[in-house]
Amino acid sequence: TTGYAQNTKIDLDKTGATILEIIDAIEAKTEFKFFYSKEDLDLQRKVDMRVKGINIEKVLQKLFPFGNVNFKIIDKQIVLTSNTTYRSAGKTSVPPILQDPIEISGIVTDSDGGPLPGTSILVKGTNTGVTSDFNGNYTIMVPSTSAVLVFSYIGFTAKEVAVGRQSTINVTLEESAEALGEVVVTALGIERDRKTLGYATAKVDSEEFAVNRTPNFMDALQGKVAGVNISGLGSGPQGSSKIRIRGISSFGNNNSPLIVVNGVPINNTSFGVQGDVGEVGSNRRSDSGDGLSSINPDDVADMTILKGAAASALYGSRAKDGVIMITTKNRSDEGGVEVTFNTNYTNGAPLDYTDYQYEYGQGEGGVRPNAPFPNTGVWSFGEPVGGTQILFDGLVVPYTPTPNKIRDYYRNSSTLMNTISVASGGENGGISFSAANMDATSILPGSDYVRRTVNLGFTQKLKKFTISGNVNYSNEERTNPPNIAEQDFSPVVIYTLASTMPLDLLRENCCDANGDEIPYSRFTNRTNPYFALKRFENNTRDRVYGNITTKYDFADWLFAQVRIGQDYYMRDVDYNLPTGSQRQSDPPPGFVNGQYIQDQRRFREVNADFLISANKQFGEFGTMLNFGGNQMYRRSDVNTILGENFYTRNLYTIGNASTVSPNYVRSEEQINSLYAAAELSYGGFLYVNATARNDWFSTLSPENRSILYPSVTGSFVFSQAFNNMPSWLSFGKIRLAYAEVGSDTDVGAYADNLPYRINPLQLLGQPVGGIDTSTIPNTDLRPMRVTEREIGLELTLFNNLRFEASYYNKLSSDQILQAQTSDASGYTTRRINVGESRNEGVEAFLSVSPIRTENFTWNTSANLSYNTSEVLSLGESVDDNFITVGLAEFHGELRQVVGKPMAQLYGYGWLRDDQGNQVFDPNNGFPLRSEEQLNFGTALPVWVGGFTNSFKYKNLTASFLIDYKLGHKMISGTHINAYRHGLDKATLVGRDVGYVIGEGVNPDGSVNTAQADIQGYYQTIRTHRGSEASVFNAGSWQLRQLSIGYDFTSHLDHIKFIKSLKFDIVANNVAVLKKWVPHIHPDQNGIIGDQYTGLEATGLPITRDIGFNMNIKF
Amino acid sequence: IDPTYQLNTAIIQGAPGYGNNLTYQVTIVRQMITPFAGVGTGANLNQDNRAATLELWNLGYRTTIKNLVDGIASIEGDPEKTNMLSMLRIWRAHQFMILTDSYGDVPYFEAGKGFLEQIPFPEYDSQELIYDDLLKELEEASAALDPAKDGVDQEVMYAGAGISDNISAWKRLGNSLLLRAAMRLVKVNPAKAQEFSAKAIAGGLMTSNDDNALVRHDASFRNGMGTNLNGGQAPFYYLDKELVDFFQSNDDPRLKAIAVRYVGSASEGGQVPENANSDPAVQIGMPQGFDNTTIAPQVAADGVASLFDYSQLDRTRLGAPEAPSFYVTYSETLLLHAEAIVRGWASGDANALYQEAIRANMEQFADWPGDTTIPGAEIDTYISTHTLTSGMELEQINTQYWISSFLNGSESWANFRRSGFPVVAPNPYPGGELKTEDFIRRLTYPDAERTVNSANLDAAIGRQGPDILDTRVWWDVE
Repeated sequence: TTGYAQNTKIDLDKTGATILEIIDAIEAKTEFKFFYSKEDLDLQRKVDMRVKGINIEKVLQKLFPFGNVNFKIIDKQIVLTSNTTYRSAGKTSVPPILQDPIEISGIVTDSDGGPLPGTSILVKGTNTGVTSDFNGNYTIMVPSTSAVLVFSYIGFTAKEVAVGRQSTINVTLEESAEALGEVVVTALGIERDRKTLGYATAKVDSEEFAVNRTPNFMDALQGKVAGVNISGLGSGPQGSSKIRIRGISSFGNNNSPLIVVNGVPINNTSFGVQGDVGEVGSNRRSDSGDGLSSINPDDVADMTILKGAAASALYGSRAKDGVIMITTKNRSDEGGVEVTFNTNYTNGAPLDYTDYQYEYGQGEGGVRPNAPFPNTGVWSFGEPVGGTQILFDGLVVPYTPTPNKIRDYYRNSSTLMNTISVASGGENGGISFSAANMDATSILPGSDYVRRTVNLGFTQKLKKFTISGNVNYSNEERTNPPNIAEQDFSPVVIYTLASTMPLDLLRENCCDANGDEIPYSRFTNRTNPYFALKRFENNTRDRVYGNITTKYDFADWLFAQVRIGQDYYMRDVDYNLPTGSQRQSDPPPGFVNGQYIQDQRRFREVNADFLISANKQFGEFGTMLNFGGNQMYRRSDVNTILGENFYTRNLYTIGNASTVSPNYVRSEEQINSLYAAAELSYGGFLYVNATARNDWFSTLSPENRSILYPSVTGSFVFSQAFNNMPSWLSFGKIRLAYAEVGSDTDVGAYADNLPYRINPLQLLGQPVGGIDTSTIPNTDLRPMRVTEREIGLELTLFNNLRFEASYYNKLSSDQILQAQTSDASGYTTRRINVGESRNEGVEAFLSVSPIRTENFTWNTSANLSYNTSEVLSLGESVDDNFITVGLAEFHGELRQVVGKPMAQLYGYGWLRDDQGNQVFDPNNGFPLRSEEQLNFGTALPVWVGGFTNSFKYKNLTASFLIDYKLGHKMISGTHINAYRHGLDKATLVGRDVGYVIGEGVNPDGSVNTAQADIQGYYQTIRTHRGSEASVFNAGSWQLRQLSIGYDFTSHLDHIKFIKSLKFDIVANNVAVLKKWVPHIHPDQNGIIGDQYTGLEATGLPITRDIGFNMNIKF
Repeated sequence: IDPTYQLNTAIIQGAPGYGNNLTYQVTIVRQMITPFAGVGTGANLNQDNRAATLELWNLGYRTTIKNLVDGIASIEGDPEKTNMLSMLRIWRAHQFMILTDSYGDVPYFEAGKGFLEQIPFPEYDSQELIYDDLLKELEEASAALDPAKDGVDQEVMYAGAGISDNISAWKRLGNSLLLRAAMRLVKVNPAKAQEFSAKAIAGGLMTSNDDNALVRHDASFRNGMGTNLNGGQAPFYYLDKELVDFFQSNDDPRLKAIAVRYVGSASEGGQVPENANSDPAVQIGMPQGFDNTTIAPQVAADGVASLFDYSQLDRTRLGAPEAPSFYVTYSETLLLHAEAIVRGWASGDANALYQEAIRANMEQFADWPGDTTIPGAEIDTYISTHTLTSGMELEQINTQYWISSFLNGSESWANFRRSGFPVVAPNPYPGGELKTEDFIRRLTYPDAERTVNSANLDAAIGRQGPDILDTRVWWDVE
């Protein structure tokens, strides 16, 4: 024994503790490290150990008094070995020969021969280990020649080496694509070691969206990735996903990130409400998904989110809002043939958050329905409930509350997703094939979504050639996507029905003998929700996307690559406006009214690119050079035919329509680009990257279409730069980035021309036509520019705690916006370059495993994003200091206001005097409206984030996710209706006496005493367009996901053909822990467009989904 | 694109419909009324409902003015297209009259030029300057029309109706509009009114109902008011008591063609054909001053079953979706001509023109779908008992103008403000937003103008007075 062992005094006070716990305690208190093999020792034996101030040798003697364990103390290392003489009878393995501990030393290097400081070296099966020093050298004691050493280093494939009779073990670790997620797919599909990156990326493990699933798979990532704000929508399973990274960069309507699959962008047009696409015909506001909805999560091998401009600079224009890089599977990693079957089922229950009054029933002016065909079906200003009422054609029914309408009208939803995939892999390549089916029903009866996907990926190395590719086919059939965010022909009209309206009667009396809607409300646009089911929509999309890449390695440091990718889809939709609704006017004599529309789209985007890449090490210096170019060509063709007023009833065809209006729209766009990127590194810890890209946009005039923009980033891995770093600092890095990106987003093809249109119909045989735009064309548009600065810190401590934080400052200038104009100009908007806005924020991520033992692990992680924005200027061309970008369905609007955060909600409020008293009209007692529209704050969340906790006990795993969005407001359209119709509980005031006296003053300053008519008083919210009462904090805390899983693999050893089997029970949207908006779930908004953010219009109820996921590998 | 197509668009789209006609105009002049609040809130409750006051503005500038200004710019100075240009100018003047009469000062010289001259925020011009230019435009454009020059065969108003010499018809329309514009100025500038009415009469006015300027709707191009009165708004609009009383007290045969009452309707469900009754004697107009919740006592007093039991515009005839929309009629023109004679600004037999105007209007009823033709004998009887009475001429003429312009709310309302007739009671609805006036004198500007064009808007308000329903437009002096 040596000095340390002699001089170190140990105190212990343990009763009934296991040997293992004693060892842990000693390790915690001292610098001693124990080496042992769990196989050989009985460490679960319980002992009492009460000692004070004795040295380690005495402690060990007390601990192992029977001589069944030999111990040896070598400086601070203590090696325990089993004494074969005393082996317990139960052990059957060959007893190891008792050996003295062996000292092993060596050097760890990377494939370039550079040392790998900080490599973790563990004795397999134990929790003891050392790390390599600055020069990659290590020394470790192992208990026997049968020991195995595990060498691991983030970003490299771990390596196991059997000790045998060696005393020097030098190891070279290979950089790895999979290991710990530390190799990141960056722009253009270039794989980079994470440590070299000067910007923030987030790698998302496929487990995050493949176990606890949502139909649009990105929705499963809500609250999981710092800086990424994913908003669920109340639009049903077939709908779009709203993803915004680091706030919204432009004033435009769509600030979605670019979606890149295997290095090539795919189209992500949103067919959501107020999304990217306008529709022909009346009253169609359904959400039929986006580009992401074609993707089967089982095909995704890897996903990386590039958050900042620096990360995405090489993608240029379309990447100003970040990039979601998806790599699909193209081979088996493990070699051989592997078959995987995954099945996922969830059942969703619609969540009813209405908080309505049920004391007063249907009626207006304090009168219940008392004559046949009352038209008060959406009014609850009737009498106190009790007794009977007369509905429809004279039915006398109880006048009692019907509080379960949401639950009764909607059904449970379900989603069943099956994927089978086959993959093989070998030395020179491999192939992967999958076929999947998803069958989802929405909570709206008759509304379904079926998605079938096939994915084929391959990669093959032919000497110096590598050919790889992916082909994805998806077929999506959306049947009757719900009409949302409006009243007409919509299932969300349920939210406005009178408090005593019996749903079964509404269903039985939806239609007369002809099939015409029977009136129940004087608001005839509140289509009876059962009549609304006559509305149909068949929406089919066939899509093929993929790419072929050929790569030629000239040398191990130089390759050239050519890649061509295409995204092509056809989308056929037909839908109707059902005959006989109260909403529509009578048809021309001899016809029946209604509409039938066919909408056929073809979309093609081709990306062709080349890349030449050189990567060479010169001693401590490394260089990498990339040069490439891309041509993006996009064409879209849309044919629509609108047929109206039919000859024969219930036959919705174009041929049956008396009036037919065809239309055809074609657009073509192209972007040509050249780019270059260079990296210079030193010593494996200092990296400087620079990129430059030039884009030429076909949508802009020749003078303005070229834009060049650079980026510079730096990364400094300080944990590897100095050799006196403390050992607890496993990894540490600082990064810096500056980047610019130019963009023609929000321009659109032909934006500089004035279009005319000739009406396909003639009046009296005479042609009718005119200007076909409400936007003033602008021939002088310039590309917008995003300039972003970013600084970040990445740390790993104790090989356990991971911390990452970034600060960014993103300036968007020369924004291209459809700014409102005076209608007297003839146009409502004009497309102009206006002003600047800034997004500034911090995003942070922390993960730690507070408990990490053989059998039990607890991982906890938290992410947080803080984003603030400011509109800096709107340019001289704007009349005032603001522009209005979106108007709500009823009232309230969204503005961009200089000096304020982006997306400010405005609306009228109540008139107040200087003392803040509300002012009422003495003549009728109604509240008076404010003179100007009031500011209610931003509609964009300031804080977004989540916490995940996962637990693993042996084969059992459990996890839950809590997410939050805070700091923003909404104007609730649902509340406006609930209030003006007398459903909101606040409208109970005064009903008992029959009048309301508003608390406040009259314009002359006297106290208001005017008795206001009840219904008129509460209706002023609509007649005066007073949004103020409907402004709510839009934030929420939600228990978003819960899952419990069991890995059966270890129980299936005897079934040879099963490699693994996992089963998880999952739940989504488990509970809203805190919210402020009444009557709806905080996510229940039907509109996707950024120009309507915070202008809530009732969406489909959100569902709580419970189900399972099963994954079997053969 | 051929500017004739744009002219046709402006003619069709400019028709009085629902939001730009019923909510304020037709209600102010007591032709029709809805007791319901909500989207229809407006003159019925004397409320400044800015979601409705903007309808006329938006429709005008976004569609009719925009296309007319663009069409004019595309052929201005082309010697081969002078007739086409004149038609576009005449119709532009007509559309601007509606706008300025409704709002007062409006963007005029810079309007509709967002693209042509890149003017996104046009200045407002004073109504005085606008009228100076309107008179000039109408005079010049009418004079320039010449059947010997370019033919405009694809215009929908007259050529579409099969009138062979449509150029001359447009000339008579131009002069009739010039007379209308001139007579607007009787209160503010009688000399100018006299000068230009003389020019108009000399230029040649409409000579028969064939000259009526209207849009003839069909199954594809439907009457916006008719589609609403047959669709969502069917049970909500009623004939005003003042109108029904006027017809009944004069034994006017037009009431039979206009009105229907679904007798005994306790709810909108009662408004079915079996209950329809067009007998003038059973008609009961709805009084102003109530909303759907406060009207109950009046319902009892009037002896009707519910508010749904009051008389309505017959939605199968004048209120049909295919009903024509009249802009300028022979009858109206005759009445203005008669007034000019009464004022001593023209020579002729005022009484003869007055009676011919009534006959022309009654004969015009044959143009509506359904059974609306008024028998000649009934016309003769009515005319025989309606002659001008000395000292009462202006009231008699302009009261008939109220009927002749029935359903063309903008014109009815403008002539009501100009002439002070008919004599009807103001809306007594409690708590209205009118501060000093008995009737709504103008419409308020769209909120969007406050948002985006505030400097120019403020200049107009500074000239004209506050942006409220009470403020009188320039020609509407007390």
